[in-house]
Amino acid sequence: MSTRMRKMMALCGLLAIAAAPVEAQRTHVLFVSGLSGAPQFKTQFTQAANTLRDVARSRWGVNDSSLLILTEDSSSTSRRSTRENVADAFLRLSRRVQPGDVLLVLLAGHGSGEGPGSKVNLPGPDATATEYAAWLQPFAAQQVVFINTATGSGDFVPVLTAPGRVVITATKSAFEKNESEFLRHFVRGLEGGEADGDKDGRLSVLEAFRYARREVQQSYERGKRLLTEHALVSDSLVAARITFGQRATAADPRIAQLMAERQALESQVAALRGRKASMDAAAYEAELERLLLAIAEKSAAIKAAGGDK
Amino acid sequence: MRVIPRRLSRVLAGLVWLCPALGCAQESRASNTDRFAALILAAEQAAARGHREVSVRLARQLTSQYESSGATNAAEHTSAGRAYVLQGVGNVNAVKAALAAFDRATALDSSYLESQRRTAALFLDKYDAPEARALYSGVLRRAPDDAEALLGLARVEEFESKGNPLETARKSANANPRFASARAFIARLHLDAEAFDSARVTARSAVALDSALLDAWSVLGAVAWLTGDSASYREAQAVARRLQPGGAEFDVFLAEAAVRQRRYAEAVRLAGEAVRRDSLSVAALGVLGTNQLRLGDFAAGRAALERAFALDPYNVWHKNTLDLLDKMRGFRTVERGRFRITAPEKEAELLVLYIAPLLERAYDSLALRYDYRPPTPIHLEFYDVQADFSVRTVGLNGLGALGVSFGTLLALDAPNVQAKGNYNWGSTAWHELAHTFTLGASAHRVPRWLSEGLSVLEERRANPGWGARGSLGWLVAYAGGRIRPLSQLNDGFMRPRAPDEVGNSYYQASLFAEWVESTRGVTALRGMLSGYRDGQDTPTVFQRVLGLSLAEADTQFDRWVQTRYASAIAAVGGMQAAGSARGNRPSPADSSGGAGGATGGGSFVRIMREAVTLMNARPDSARALFERARGMMPAYAGDDGPSWFLSQLALQRGDTTAVLTYLPEVTGRDETAYDANVLEARVRGRRGDLTGAMAAWERALWIWPYEAADRRELAQLAAQAGDHARAVRERRAVLALRPTDVLQARYDLAKALADGGDMAGARRELLSVLEEAPSFEQAQALLLELRRRGGPR
Repeated sequence: MSTRMRKMMALCGLLAIAAAPVEAQRTHVLFVSGLSGAPQFKTQFTQAANTLRDVARSRWGVNDSSLLILTEDSSSTSRRSTRENVADAFLRLSRRVQPGDVLLVLLAGHGSGEGPGSKVNLPGPDATATEYAAWLQPFAAQQVVFINTATGSGDFVPVLTAPGRVVITATKSAFEKNESEFLRHFVRGLEGGEADGDKDGRLSVLEAFRYARREVQQSYERGKRLLTEHALVSDSLVAARITFGQRATAADPRIAQLMAERQALESQVAALRGRKASMDAAAYEAELERLLLAIAEKSAAIKAAGGDK
Repeated sequence: MRVIPRRLSRVLAGLVWLCPALGCAQESRASNTDRFAALILAAEQAAARGHREVSVRLARQLTSQYESSGATNAAEHTSAGRAYVLQGVGNVNAVKAALAAFDRATALDSSYLESQRRTAALFLDKYDAPEARALYSGVLRRAPDDAEALLGLARVEEFESKGNPLETARKSANANPRFASARAFIARLHLDAEAFDSARVTARSAVALDSALLDAWSVLGAVAWLTGDSASYREAQAVARRLQPGGAEFDVFLAEAAVRQRRYAEAVRLAGEAVRRDSLSVAALGVLGTNQLRLGDFAAGRAALERAFALDPYNVWHKNTLDLLDKMRGFRTVERGRFRITAPEKEAELLVLYIAPLLERAYDSLALRYDYRPPTPIHLEFYDVQADFSVRTVGLNGLGALGVSFGTLLALDAPNVQAKGNYNWGSTAWHELAHTFTLGASAHRVPRWLSEGLSVLEERRANPGWGARGSLGWLVAYAGGRIRPLSQLNDGFMRPRAPDEVGNSYYQASLFAEWVESTRGVTALRGMLSGYRDGQDTPTVFQRVLGLSLAEADTQFDRWVQTRYASAIAAVGGMQAAGSARGNRPSPADSSGGAGGATGGGSFVRIMREAVTLMNARPDSARALFERARGMMPAYAGDDGPSWFLSQLALQRGDTTAVLTYLPEVTGRDETAYDANVLEARVRGRRGDLTGAMAAWERALWIWPYEAADRRELAQLAAQAGDHARAVRERRAVLALRPTDVLQARYDLAKALADGGDMAGARRELLSVLEEAPSFEQAQALLLELRRRGGPR
C-alpha cells in the first residue's frame, strides 16, 4: 500500500471517529421565545417550543428537569421569557450539567441592535449578545449549541463563538431584518427523518443546520424571491460531531457483539470509499455490495435478537 | 454581455466636434443654398441602387469637405448628416456625427423641417421610437399636413404598436396624394395583415405615381410570391433588380414577408440570397440569423447575428438574442425519441420526464389526424424566465404568449414562469406541436387564424379539460356581436380591437374547426390544409372543401354557434364585459362589479353575485342559487363558476359524494384548475378511488409539477394501484426536484423500481444510497430483499 493510500485510510478512520457521538452524553435544552408582535409569530414560536419539547423528551431522552422552556407569556409548562428568567435558566442548567454534556439553547423572536449589542426582543428589558456570552461562561466543559433564529441575528456569531461551541444564526448579519423562515425549518429538521443526512438514526447539529439552510433556500426559490436570510454556523466540525438521538446499546453481549461487528463493517465501507478512485469500478462495486450485504445481515440479526428497537 | 451604445441623444451632449471649423463657421440663416446638394443626391442614389462602395466614397468626399470647411446653412448641415448616415454601417461614430450635423441644422434654423425629419428617421432607424415620435410630432405641430412627417409617425406607431399606423399613413397619403411612399407603406401594412388584394392594388397605385419606388415593387413582389403568381413575381423582381442592381432590399423584404407568413425555411433561403447580394446588409443578416435560429441552426444563426450586431450595435433585437444564446450555453439538451428537448439545467430533468412521453403521444395522434409526419427530431425549448422566451420569439421582452411554434422548433414557458394555476404547460405543448403538423401539412401556408383554431381544437381532443372553452368573456362578446366573421378572423389575431379579442378569436377559430370536423369529418380539415399547401386562397379552399362561399360559411357557422350556445347566450343577455381573456377575465362572482368584472344585466351574473354574498350566512340559499346558475350555463367552469362554489359548500357539510359531483365539472373544463384537481385527487383518494385520484393528480401536474408532496402522493397511489411505471416516474420526479432528503428519495425510487421488477435499477440506486449511508436500515432491508428475489449478485 502506498504512503498516500495509508494517509487516506488514516484520514477516513479519523473522520469516522470524529463523526461518532459522544458517549454517555446528556442533553440539556433551553428554549427562549421573545415578543411575537403578531399572532402568526406567536403561533410559530409556540409550535417550535412544542416540537422541541416533544423531540427532546421522546427522541433525545432529555429529562424534564433539563428541559426549560421560556415563552412570551408564562403557562403551566413554561416560564415567562424575561431577561431575569433567562439568566436564571442558564444558572439552573449550569448547576445540573456534567462535563461532556450537550447544552442546546434555541432563541426565537425578532432581533434588534447590532454587534455585541444585538438582542432578541424579550418581554421587558432585552438581553444583549454580550450577556448571553456571559451566561454561557459556566459551560466551558460542555458542548454548547447556541441557535439564534431571530431576524438580524448574525452578529451573535462573533460575540458568542468559543472553542468547542457551535453558534448558529438565521442571518449572516444584524442587517438581514426581513421575516425569517429559518426557525420553522430548523425545528422541523430536529425531528430527524428528512434532516438525518446519513440515515444513521442520529442527527448531528450540522445535518440539522444544512437541512434548514437548504429548505430556506428552496422556499425562496419556489416563491421566486430574493434570498434575504443567510444562515451561519460558527464551527462546522464541532457541529458535525455533536449529535442528538439515543445511541443504540445492548446489555445482551450477543447483540453487543453483532453491533460491534456491524460498526467494523461500516468502517470498512468508509475505508473502501477512500480507495474508490484507485480501484477498478467493477471490483469496487462488488466489494461494496459484499460489505453492504454483510451490514444488512448484521442489522437483521440484531433486530431478530431483539436489538435496535 | 454585449453593450449597446448609449442613446444618441445622450451621446450628443458629450460629443466632440470632428472639426473645430464646424463650430465656428459663420452661418447664414438667410440662404439655404446647398453646396453639397449634388453630391449627397449622387451618394444616396448610389446607395439606393445598392452600390454601397460608391455611395460611401461619395459620402466621405462630402463629409471631408464638411469637416474641413464647415457649412453655411441648415441645408448643408443636413446634407452632411445624410452623408454620415450613409457611412453608418458598422461605424457608430458616423451615426453620432450624423445626429450632430442634423442638430446643428436645426439649431441654426428651427424652421428647416427637413433636418428634424431626418433626425427623427435616424432615431427610428436606431430603434429609439420615443425620440422619433417627439420629433415627428414637433414637425407636425408646425406643419400638420407634412406628408413625410405623417408617414414617419405612422412608422413609429407601427414600431411601438401604439396608435393606428394605417390611419396615420392614410392621412399622409391624403395630405399629398402624389406621395407614393405613403401608399407603399399602406400596401405593406395590408400585406402584413394578409390582405393580399388590398396590398396589390395599393402598391400598384404607388408604382403608378413613382415607377422607381422600390418599396412598392417589393410589396408587389411579395404579394406575388406569397400567392404563387410567378409571372407578377418575376416582373417585380426584374424591376427591383434594375432599380437596385447591387442591393438586397427586395430580397430582404421578401424574406421578412415570408417570416410573417411563418415560412421560416424559405425566409432563410431568401435572406441568404440577400446576404450574398449585400454582405453588409444588417437587415439581411438579421433575418437570416434569426430564422436560422428558429430552424434550430444555432451555429449559423449566431454567426449571422454576431455579424449583424457588429455592423449595427444599436440593434436591441440582435443584442438580446445573442445574450440569450450565451445564457443558453448553461441549458441542457436531452434527446428522447422523436424529440430534442432543451431546458435550463435545473428544470430539464423534471420537465423531460413528463413532456417526452406526452410529445410522443401527441405526435402519433396528430400524424393520424392530419395524415402527415413532420421531420424529426422536433426541438422543444423551455424557458424559465418570461423575458427569455419573449426574446427567443420576437427578440424583445414583453411578449405575452406562452408558447410558439416555428415549425419543427417549439419554444415554451416552463411551468414556473406563470403563477400556479395560470398555465397548463401540457396543453400548451400540445397546441404548439399541433402547429408543427398544420404548418407542415400546408407547407406553412395555412392562415394564422385557422392554424390557431386547429391547435385549440387539438388541445380539447387531447385530454379532458384541456383547451379553451366558452368563457364568459367570449359569450358576452359573441352575444354583443363583437366576434369577427370568419372572413375577418385573421384580424382578430393580427389587429385586435380590444385586449380580449385575441383570446376570443382563438376560441372562435377553434369552434370553426370543430364545426368543420363535426359536419364534414376530419378529412375536410386535411383538405383545407392541402388546399392552402397547393397555393389556394381562403375563398377557393372554402369553396372546394366546404362547398361554400365565405359568406355562406359565415352564415352556416354562425347558426351552428347560436344553436349550440343558445341558453348560455340568453343567460348573459344584456351583459357587457371588460378585460382580457386570461389575466383579467370578467368574473360573475365579482360582487363589486368593478373594473375587469362583468357589468350590466344578465340573469346568470345577478344570480351568481347573490349566491356568493349568501355563502357564509345562508349556505342552503346560496346552494339553491348556484344550482340555478349551473343549470343556466353548465359549461361555465373555473374557480368562479357555480360548480366550484357548490363543491365548496358540499365540502363544508362533509358531503364528499356531492363534492365529486361538482368538482369534475370544474376539472373537466378548466385546464388550469390546480386547487380543484388537488382537492378532487384527495377526496377520491380518501374514498378509495385510486384511478380517479391518479387521474386528478395527472391533470394537476400539467399545471404545476413542482410540489414534491404531490409527486409523492401520486407515487404512493400508483404503487397501491400496481401502476409501477407511474410510481417510478413520480419517484424520479421527486429526485429531479432536488429534495433535501436525497437519500430517502433515492431509496423510494429504488423501492419503486424493485416493485416494478427492475432489479438492476433498484440495485444500482440502493448501492449508491448505502454507499453514502451504510446505516440506513430501510435500505439495508431492501438490499436483502433484492438478494432474496435474485437481484444483487
